[in-house]
Order: sequence, then structure tokens, then C-alpha cells
Amino acid sequence: MKNQNSKYADIISTVEFNATGELLATGDKGGRVVVFQREQESKNQPHRRGEYNVYSTFQSHEPEFDYLKSLEIEEKINKIRWLPQQNAAYFLLSTNDKTVKLWKISERDKRPEGYNLKDEDGRIRDPTTITALRVPVLRPMDLMVEATARRIFANGHTYHINSISVNSDYETYMSTDDLRINLWNLEITNRSFNIVDIKPANMEDLTEVITAAEFHPSHCNTFVYSSSKGSVRLCDMRASALCDNHCKFFEEPEDPNNRSFFSEIISSISDVKFSHNGRYLMTRDYLTVKVWDLNMENKPLETYQVHDYLRSKLCSLYENDCIFDKFECVWNGSDSVIMTGSYNNFFRMFDRNTKRDVTLEASRENSKPRAILKPRKVCVGGKRRKDEISVDSLDFSKKILHTAWHPSENIIAVAATNNLYIFQDKVN
Amino acid sequence: MEYKVEAHRIMSISLGKIYNSRVQRGGIKLHKNLLVSLVLRSARQVYLSDYYGGVCVRSPHAGGVEWGEGDQMDSDGSRSTPDEHGGESALVSDDSVRIPEVSVNGPAAAVEGQDIEDLAPGSDYNCQQSPQEDVGSVKTEGSGSAETGGPGSGSEHCVSRSENSQQGSAEVTATCCTRKRGAERSASAGSPVKRPKATAVPALPPVGGEGEGPEDMDTGNVSSLITIFGSSFSGLLSKEGAQPATDSEDSDSGKICCEQMLPNLNPWSTAIVAF
Repeated sequence: MKNQNSKYADIISTVEFNATGELLATGDKGGRVVVFQREQESKNQPHRRGEYNVYSTFQSHEPEFDYLKSLEIEEKINKIRWLPQQNAAYFLLSTNDKTVKLWKISERDKRPEGYNLKDEDGRIRDPTTITALRVPVLRPMDLMVEATARRIFANGHTYHINSISVNSDYETYMSTDDLRINLWNLEITNRSFNIVDIKPANMEDLTEVITAAEFHPSHCNTFVYSSSKGSVRLCDMRASALCDNHCKFFEEPEDPNNRSFFSEIISSISDVKFSHNGRYLMTRDYLTVKVWDLNMENKPLETYQVHDYLRSKLCSLYENDCIFDKFECVWNGSDSVIMTGSYNNFFRMFDRNTKRDVTLEASRENSKPRAILKPRKVCVGGKRRKDEISVDSLDFSKKILHTAWHPSENIIAVAATNNLYIFQDKVN
Repeated sequence: MEYKVEAHRIMSISLGKIYNSRVQRGGIKLHKNLLVSLVLRSARQVYLSDYYGGVCVRSPHAGGVEWGEGDQMDSDGSRSTPDEHGGESALVSDDSVRIPEVSVNGPAAAVEGQDIEDLAPGSDYNCQQSPQEDVGSVKTEGSGSAETGGPGSGSEHCVSRSENSQQGSAEVTATCCTRKRGAERSASAGSPVKRPKATAVPALPPVGGEGEGPEDMDTGNVSSLITIFGSSFSGLLSKEGAQPATDSEDSDSGKICCEQMLPNLNPWSTAIVAF
């Protein structure tokens, strides 16, 4: 487990496994990226089943100032997405509100020694003292991991970037802000194509914004984007250059019994994710997670209540801004279990097959290394049993917004404010 | 009346959030401000619905702080698009769609009729005045320049209302609200955005003054927040100042309702547009 001082800059803002699960990247509000690598399983210590250790740390984004608009651009990392590995180096995309960067993370374990013009300290040698030539040789050195920015995709967005998604063609990716989606080629930084634009001619007519977008995992022409009105649109890039017209429109009619001042806020979708098999979509709004079948647009396949006990507290949550929290959601590798976060450092898992769900807590007090997590329960009224927590004692400053699931194994990463928790299945 | 107090509190909180967002690091977040503006509009609608004599609002549910008439609202879905209302602000047009749906609910008619009679004498909204009253005294919601439509057009409006009143209070409200919607639709054909803005700032303090005693201080906060916005958008307001003089010559009686409502609607529209 990683532990950092409680500072704003250390708050983790994104978590992502790479395609093999060997690496885990986190981004924080200070613009830093920390990459963890799973250590190789060794026969000597079979019970240490591949723990994650820090592999590389680098400053991805710095605060900037837009002089034209007199606005500060936050360095907070909004999203990290890994590229598939094609050689010894690792590549990832990281983005803040305005700029996407492609980082190359590579190892160096040899260094050249025996230069002619400079000595081992790097100081320039006096040429008059050189009497012979030698060929530098490579000698082993302590492993060094370096990160270099290979591409900077800037000036593509007027509004705040909320998502990036790498296409399955591994040549392009898209970046999404509140009103527009741009398609980039990974090699070209000075040009991008706008594929979705929902900005109205008159900003007074604005009624919805884009909240997230993702490419289909295998169909390189298909992507989805979610809106603040609770709808998801699926688009096909083959249909036209500008994908303002959707091919499919996923929206569930609102339940009139639940109407309130805050209905619009809680129906805003904070995250959308394709299943690994590409047949389902998952959306997260403030109180629920929904699984959609791509072939059924009028209602979701499954709806899971994450923390319905908050429905009666929406006014207080509006006052303290918690109602604007954007929770993410993730699939496990086999698309049978979905996971999302909640408050009080709770996170929830829903098994789609058994229809069972569990609430777990990510906190140091309640979990020692290699201890088994105990299921938690929130008491919603009446008598509170021992071990249950009442709704009023929930700590709303401890929120789990970002989680990640290993692509093939039952290993999860949970970001609780400035701490990262990694949980694994118990080894038999 | 708790719902009105609650609605007002939510309005104040929302305005505070919009104001604070201007000084937040990282710039104004469009998504959050859009959501706050939607809450603001909903709360304002509930708050102002009282000016219809309470006919548009049922007594709140036991749940209390939530929007009482929630289960009757938007029976055809809350996703009404602004497209049908032309170029007018989505915030404005959505309002006009909602109110009629509420008011025509049968079970509430009895309650609504009661409310009309209770509030008619002191009603702020001329549409609720009984026909015998002096229709010339078009008491508006403080839209000073907007009421220059004239008592003549006002009486025409109220006379037609009195004919409807015999048919039942629910229909009165429906007519009133439908007429408002119609007015807004016709208003949107012109340059709707410009006309009410000039009355935006002065519109609100009178609203506060008309409220009951305990609420005076609350509305004062809201008014001061609006004034803060108003001063920031003074350039915008002064530019539109020339418009109302010409527009108010319209004798379309329907526009009386529109002109009374729009000054109250548009301060917030103005605030949000600036973002």
C-alpha cells in the first residue's frame, strides 16, 4: 500500500491497469504519474503473489496559465490510458483539462563508459592530455526507469477534457471535452479531427454536455459518449465525418415518482465503459450502475443500487457539493462482476450472475496486509446492528471515485483520496 | 409554505455556487454550472409558482424538502426539448412546458380553487384577480417597464380570464399558463433575450418586497447576488436598454403574463449565459 501525506496535490485522480496487468498507473491532482509494476512471482516466496512496487514516478503536467482568458489550467491528471505494448518500452496517454501527452517509459540498465573527451564524472577532459583513443563500452548499471514525453497534443480543446480512449486500431485515440470529441492520430500532434460537436449556436440553448466517451474494444469504427442528461449515444465513424447523429440512443425514461429538484443532477452519467467482450455497456450515475445490452436502447438490462439511502439526502449533498462527485465504474476481466465506489471509503461489487453484492471498505484501520476484507453494511433505518454504520455517520469526505480491475485476474486497485489500496484474491 | 422557503434556500445556495465558480481555480466548469442552473430553475419555478395563487402547486408530500408536486410534473417526461420554442433560452422554455402539466391535474382542482379565493385579494399576479376588481390596476411582479403594455390590454386579458373562471380553477390556471407559454413562444419569435434583460436587475427587489415578512431578508440576499451579477454584466444590460421601449408598445394581451414572468426568469438566464 502506498502512503502519502494528506495534501491536495496527492489526491489520486485516476487509476489504470495496462493491458496485461503488469503495470498500474495512478495520476494525482499535482500532475504526477506514479507507475507500479508487479514483481515476478518467485518460487522462494510463493505467498508473495506478485505485489506491486513503484516502478516510475514523473511529473506529467504542470500548472499553466491561459493569458488570453486569464484562467489557470489545473495540472490535475484527469485520465490515464495505456497503449498496447509493442516493444520493450511502455507507452501511456495522460491528460489534464487541456493537453494530452504521450509518455514513453523505458528502462536503462547499461551505461557507456570510457569516453574520450570527458571523464567518468562528466567533466570535459583537457584535449592536450589525451594521448590515445578508446572505444566506449556498455557496462551494467542499476536499473533506471525513465519517462520521456514523446508527443504533446495541445490546443485541441476549448472546454475541459474529461476522457481519452485509445482505439483498437492502435493508431488513433479520441479526447473528449464538455461539448466536443476530437480524433487524433498518435503520431500527429498538430492536427486533430472533430467527430462530435454538440455546442449549440447560441450558448443559452445549452441543455446537456458530454460527460464521458469510449471506443468499442474491438470495432474500431464504433464509440459511445454519455451525457449529463442520462443518455448514451453510440456512433459509427463510417457513417459520416461528423458523428453528431447517433446510431443508437440509450436512455431510460425517468421514474416520475422520484422527481425532485435534483433529478437532473443525479441522472447525469459520470462514467461509461464497454464490457471486455464488447456486447454490453455500463453507465454510472449518482445513485446507480446500469448495464445495457447494445441491442436494447430503451432500458438497461440490469440496474444496481449503489447507495440508494442517499436519495433522501440529496439536498444536503447538493449543499456540500457531494452530489457533483463523479464516480467511475469498472468490469472485471470476464464481465461477470462490476465494481464502483461510494462514500466512507466504501466500494461495492455486484455479481451479475448470482445477483449478490458486497460492500467493502478501503481503510488502513480495517485492513492489515494479507487480512481478508470484511463486508460492510449501511443501516438505513430502524435498529442499527453491531458492525453496521448508520447513514448519518458516513464520512462524505472519504469518497472512492476511482477504481481499477486487473484485466484477467482478481486484483483490484482502489484509490481512497490520497491512498492507493491493492487487493488480491486470497491464495489457497 | 415550507416548500417555498426550501425553494428559496436552494436558489440562494445555487446562486452562491455559480458565483463561487467564477473564482475557482481551473476556470468555470461548464458541466457543474449547467447542473446548478437546472436546479436553480427548478427551485425558482417552485418559488414563483406561489405567484399563481398556489394553483400550480400541491401541498408538499410528507417527504418535506423535496419538490411536492414531483409526481405530477412532467408526466410526459422531463426531456422536453427547447426546440419547439425556437431560439428562446432552454431555461425559459422548459418552464413554460412544465407548468400547464401540473395545473390540469384533476384531484388538485379543489385545493387549487380554494387557494385562488384565498389569494385573489392580495394576489400579486393580476391574472388571479376576480373579474370585479379593478382590472386596470395591473399589479405586476415588479416588472416596472414591462407593464407599460397598458391597463387596456390588461383588462382584456383579465376579462377573458373571468370567462374561464366559471369553468373551474384548474382551467383558469391552464389558460393562464398556456397563454404564458403562447406568449413566450411568440416572444421567442422576436428578440426575446434582449427585451427582459433591461428589467432584470430592478425586477427582483420588488419581488422581495412583496413577499411575506419573514422572507424579506432572504430575498434580500438573493437580490444582492443578482445585483452582483447585474453589475458584472452592466455592459450587456445597457446594450439592451434600447429594446424594451419599443417592445413594450405591443398590445398583445398575452404578453402581459410573459412580461411579468420574463423579468424574473431572465436574471438567472443572464447569469448563466455569461458563463
